[in-house]
Amino acid sequence: MSKLTGKKLILLGERDGVPSPAMEACFAGSGAEVVFSATQCFV
Amino acid sequence: MDLENQQRIMDAAGKYGAENVVVVLGSADPEGAGLYAETVTAGDPTFAGPLAGVSLGLPVYHVFEEDIKAEADQGVWGEQIAMMEMVLDTAALAGSVAEMRDQHSKITL
Repeated sequence: MSKLTGKKLILLGERDGVPSPAMEACFAGSGAEVVFSATQCFV
Repeated sequence: MDLENQQRIMDAAGKYGAENVVVVLGSADPEGAGLYAETVTAGDPTFAGPLAGVSLGLPVYHVFEEDIKAEADQGVWGEQIAMMEMVLDTAALAGSVAEMRDQHSKITL
C-alpha cells in the first residue's frame, strides 16, 4: 500500500519549478485525494 | 505565501485533521521552498497572513524528495517532471524542506 493512501494532498506548485497539474497527474493513482492545488507565479 | 493560500491550507488542516494531510511543494528555489515549508509547519514567518503564529505542524515534502517521488506514477513523472528534475538543484530543495520538517512538523509519513 502506498504511503499516501488515504491522505489528503495539498499541492503547492510553481510555474518555474513543478506546476501543480503535473503533480496532480503523478499522484492520481497513489490513493491520495487532492484537496487543494495551486501554482505560484513570481513573474 | 499569499494570504488566500494560507487560509485554504488552514481550512483543510482543520477539516481533515493535520494527521491526514500531506503538503507537497514544487518550488524552484531552496529559499522559497524553505519559506513555504516554514509557513505550513511553524507558521507564517512574515506575520502577514492567517497562519501568523499558527503552528500547523503539517508533514511537508518537496516533490523531489525520494519518499514522495517513489509514490508518483513513473511514466507521468518522466513526461512532466523529469525535465525540471534535471535542471533544478534537487538536493538543495529537498534539504531545505527537510530541515523545516525536522524542526517543526508534528507528523511525518
